[in-house]
Order: sequence, then C-alpha cells, then structure tokens
Amino acid sequence: MEDLTEMLKGTLEGCVLEIIGSEETYGYAITRQLNELGFADVVEGTVYTILLRLERNGLVQVTKRPSGVGPPRKFYALNDAGREELAKFWAKWQYLSSRIDRLKEGGR
Amino acid sequence: MNFWEKVTGSDLTREWKAFEARADVLPDDYRATWGQIVAHLFPYGDFTGRNLMPILDSALGLLEVAAADGQSVHEVLGEDIQGFCTALAGGAGARTYRDRWREQLNRNVARKLSRLGG
Repeated sequence: MEDLTEMLKGTLEGCVLEIIGSEETYGYAITRQLNELGFADVVEGTVYTILLRLERNGLVQVTKRPSGVGPPRKFYALNDAGREELAKFWAKWQYLSSRIDRLKEGGR
Repeated sequence: MNFWEKVTGSDLTREWKAFEARADVLPDDYRATWGQIVAHLFPYGDFTGRNLMPILDSALGLLEVAAADGQSVHEVLGEDIQGFCTALAGGAGARTYRDRWREQLNRNVARKLSRLGG
C-alpha cells in the first residue's frame, strides 16, 4: 500500500519497539522486517533516527558488535523502561483503533 | 578538549579531517550524499559547530555500515535527505542560532507585554 508514511509516522516508534522487544536486532534488519510487513516506503534512515531517539530516551540497551565487513553494527535490545513504553504504546493503539473502528461503523 | 583546543578550535579541525578521511573511502553516491547531509545539517550548528560533531559522526556511521552492506544510498535514505537531517539534528537536541534568536525575541515581547499590562 502506498502513501502510508504520513499515517505511520506517529506509530513507527512503537513498531520499532515491538520488533526490538522480540529479539535483539540492528537497524538494517528492522527496516527489512518492516518492508516485509508491507511498509515498503520505510527506509533505513527513518528507522535509524527512531533508534537514536529511543537511545536518547533511555529505552534501549545498545551493544556494538563486529559485522564481518565494515565498521561494527549497533545492536538494540529493550530495557525495563523500553518494555514499559511498549506496553503503553499497545494500550494507546488499542484505544485509538477501537475508537476509529467504532466511528467507521457509525456508532458512538 | 583542553583550553587551547577550545579557544583555537584545533580539535574541530582534527575531527573534521577525520570525517573527510572516512567519507573519502565511501562509494561515489554515498560521498555525494554525505556532502548534502553536511550542507543540510550546517544550519543546526552552534557558534563553533561543535554540537554537530556527534550528529555528523552518527550519520557517517550509518553511511559506512550501509555501504559495507552493499546497499544503494537511495535504499538507505530515500528521497528525503533534508527530513533525515532534521530528524537527526532534532534527535540530538541540537540548538541553533535561530532557536536562540526566537527565544530572545519571545522574552523581549513578554517583557514589553507585562509592562503594558502591569
């Protein structure tokens, strides 16, 4: 689906948290996973700026590992604050999506 | 950074040379993009540009890793280099000339207004 970027903006951070939450991973792999999910427009640069923000907000634990070729990669894992943030994200998403569904069905 | 470096900015020159050396070994399209990134980030610099150094370092790091993966720079950054730079600079909490001018202006206006109201 095209032109999802604008709608996705506010939720992409939660998506990245969810991906990191299931296993320790790095920027390129996260981008590929989002692409395979159907978010074709997401590029690594976007994910990278989100990762920097998560790091700055103290939600992830960062480890540098050698990557075979080239410079070492940064691997990201959730810490306790990150897991808490992820739970909050899903609660907010639940709220938002249930309201929007209800709106669409014409109820109030 | 010692006092001498702080005054002369000699550490910045050295860091800058190191960035250029790293950028020089990147593939052509990456090198061109690096130039654009520098240009777009420049307005976010403070007086010496010192605040940009960690931001530039992380941007260059991303380019290096992605180039080593054999991705095209377009795959990595897409169309919106400027947006990427804004997110990078915002992410690092960089403050600019403009922010400070704006703050100063707001302060002055608030002061004038409070005088009028008071």
